[in-house]
Amino acid sequence: MAEQYKSLHPVKYYRDYLSHNIRPDGRVFDTFRPVILNTGSIDTADGSALSKLGQTTVVCGIKAELCKPKAESPNKGFVVPNLDLPPLCSPKFRPGPPSDQAQVLSQLINDIIENSQCIDLTDLCIFPDKLAWCLYIDFICLDFDGSVVDACIIALVGALKTVKLPFVDYDAALDNIQVNLENTRPLPVHSIPVSTTFAIFDDKIILADPTVEEENLCTGIIVIVLKDDELCCVHKPGGSPLSSDELLGCIEKSKKKVPLMRDLLKTALQDVG
Amino acid sequence: MPIDHKRINGPEDTLPYQLFTKLNRKSLEQKYKELVQDGKRHDSRAPLEHRKIFMKTGVVSQAKGSAYIEVEKTKVMVSVFDPREIPNRQDYSLKGEIYCEFKFAPFSCEKRRLHQLDAEEKQYSQIMKKALEATVCRHEFPNFQVDIYALVLHNDGSALSAAITAAGLALSHAGVPMYDLITSATLGIQKDTILIDPTTIEERICRTPFWKEKEDNEHGLVVLSMLHTHNQVAQFYQSGSISLDKLPHLIETLEKACADTIPVIQQCLVKHVIKTIKKSSNVIEV
Amino acid sequence: MEATKYRCNLDILSRPDGSVLFCEGKTTVIAGLYGPVEVKIQKAHIDKATVDCHYRPKSGLPGVEDRLYESFIRNTCETSLVAALFPRSAVLIMLQEMQNDKQLISCAVNAACMACLSSGIDMKFMFGAVTAFLTKDEELVLTPPIIDKDIKALFVIVFESTEGRILACHTEGCFSKEQFNQAVSICEAQCINVFKFFKQTLLDNK
Repeated sequence: MAEQYKSLHPVKYYRDYLSHNIRPDGRVFDTFRPVILNTGSIDTADGSALSKLGQTTVVCGIKAELCKPKAESPNKGFVVPNLDLPPLCSPKFRPGPPSDQAQVLSQLINDIIENSQCIDLTDLCIFPDKLAWCLYIDFICLDFDGSVVDACIIALVGALKTVKLPFVDYDAALDNIQVNLENTRPLPVHSIPVSTTFAIFDDKIILADPTVEEENLCTGIIVIVLKDDELCCVHKPGGSPLSSDELLGCIEKSKKKVPLMRDLLKTALQDVG
Repeated sequence: MPIDHKRINGPEDTLPYQLFTKLNRKSLEQKYKELVQDGKRHDSRAPLEHRKIFMKTGVVSQAKGSAYIEVEKTKVMVSVFDPREIPNRQDYSLKGEIYCEFKFAPFSCEKRRLHQLDAEEKQYSQIMKKALEATVCRHEFPNFQVDIYALVLHNDGSALSAAITAAGLALSHAGVPMYDLITSATLGIQKDTILIDPTTIEERICRTPFWKEKEDNEHGLVVLSMLHTHNQVAQFYQSGSISLDKLPHLIETLEKACADTIPVIQQCLVKHVIKTIKKSSNVIEV
Repeated sequence: MEATKYRCNLDILSRPDGSVLFCEGKTTVIAGLYGPVEVKIQKAHIDKATVDCHYRPKSGLPGVEDRLYESFIRNTCETSLVAALFPRSAVLIMLQEMQNDKQLISCAVNAACMACLSSGIDMKFMFGAVTAFLTKDEELVLTPPIIDKDIKALFVIVFESTEGRILACHTEGCFSKEQFNQAVSICEAQCINVFKFFKQTLLDNK
């Protein structure tokens, strides 16, 4: 009976639950779903991680290639993040070029990487004006169940921490490149961004870490990214208006997630050694 | 690389660093000799031994049916969606259609893959489609289309077989009417050496024609998919050059490898059924 | 602190239902609005109008970065428009960047609001955007610093006109919670001027 009620009156179904201060999946408004992180399981990539946020699953793989730095920034490498929302992960997506949603999320992730300064592009320079690393960071969503950006950022940090770049010997006079695979170095990761998604339901109730159903029914989304104690992204693209106190309340709530994520990363990376 | 306005683009020219490593100067003969040493392959398997398979259903919550397969390092995800109406279709087709997409993740191979489907991926999609068309009772859903997507997360050889096997499992998980369970296996051949379930390194050696001048220039890959209970071949794909005399033997070997995979699928499905029954009985008790 | 200068020319284009050339400091955007118009069947909603936003950069084709702006402006407009009045139809908002002096997003949002107002489409409230900059010396200013490197963070905050609540928010760079709070309050104060300017412009154009 509940199933039919849910599909016929989804909003009412949710309201009934929320009026009792609980969500249909048993969480209260500001609890997050359990997180799983698995790192370094794909050895064709130079760094990889898989994160699960409840059902939402994202795999992140980093491949490093060599290139020439831009003339205007000769001592900087490149970071090229792209999020793919393949038709595999949800019936909402069709095969073909990336949807608007995938493009918006790719850009948001790019902004988060840039703003949090977790990768210093000068670390990627091998020889100024001649040779630099280009990190292709590809995110693939395997299961689309809401809060994809959060899952991407967890996978990103996990994958970055496992990146090992081989040592490159560059002879500028002869333009000769010699790569030494035995001698590798880890990529310095300067900060750990932690992203939290909130959904605004019925213009007033704020749900942390929404599932895809909640995202579809809600009237607004907020993404907040913290690094250590600083904020590096408060993204609220339209939707129900909030008072500044409510917005600050969300920031406060997202702060709770930072120590949790730090512990998670620690445990996940210990396994790798 | 052409600029893609729907993705974030990197610099124009990037080269994989693997190109600049100290070259592996082993001769072809040497490589061939190393393929099987003392009756063992580089991962200490016997030539006709399949790698261990792990399978799981229900990995994608949003899909009707899904399966994950791990053949040691090779990892493939497959999801299947409800039959849906074929868009922009004028005429009525008596049989339902199957749409297959086989994709390598950009980071799944040694060389970075691009986001668009390349020729190899398109070919594999077609092979998958042919294999699954023989398995699904297409007359049960006329004028409708079932979408099947396979994504290779990590390619360490025999990815196509893994995808077909997983697709079969995902289809049964989705409850799509099928004639039979389907399993698939790959075989590589180079001269006299026959290798079941080759890894990427072995695949590469089996693909190269080594002794062009000699007559017994036998090399190549064979992929065979079998319907288990009917004992019928659902799909056969072969590349390279293999003599006609040898082929029956190869097919027999592959048939056996396919049959060996069946218990894994059956176990996986039984597990799923038990889980579902438990879940529904729990609901009734409450 | 020098106040940001706003300038605005209404109905500069003849084809769209509402159009505007909006200047915020040295940033200029042209906006045009068509609506309600016919919609593609795939995109149509049965209970409300489809709001679509197209953003064109100064040169070249729109890329992924522009898609983020588009979605930001589109969602902001969708919340403000009474979309339920026009089911199975579309409202198209076209934006063309003319000149960018770091206030692009807020200028585009303001231009979109003026285009909506000038077309006379039904709205729940007006919306106005303000850009605030956090300089390297941890100082919050409304006028864009001349050198890019002096900007530590940038805030674009969009308010609605009825209760002054935050409709949308976009940030770049790193900052503390207190700084964010401050930025919200100075933007809120400035936004009152934006709404005043909107009203004055409409009165002048009567």
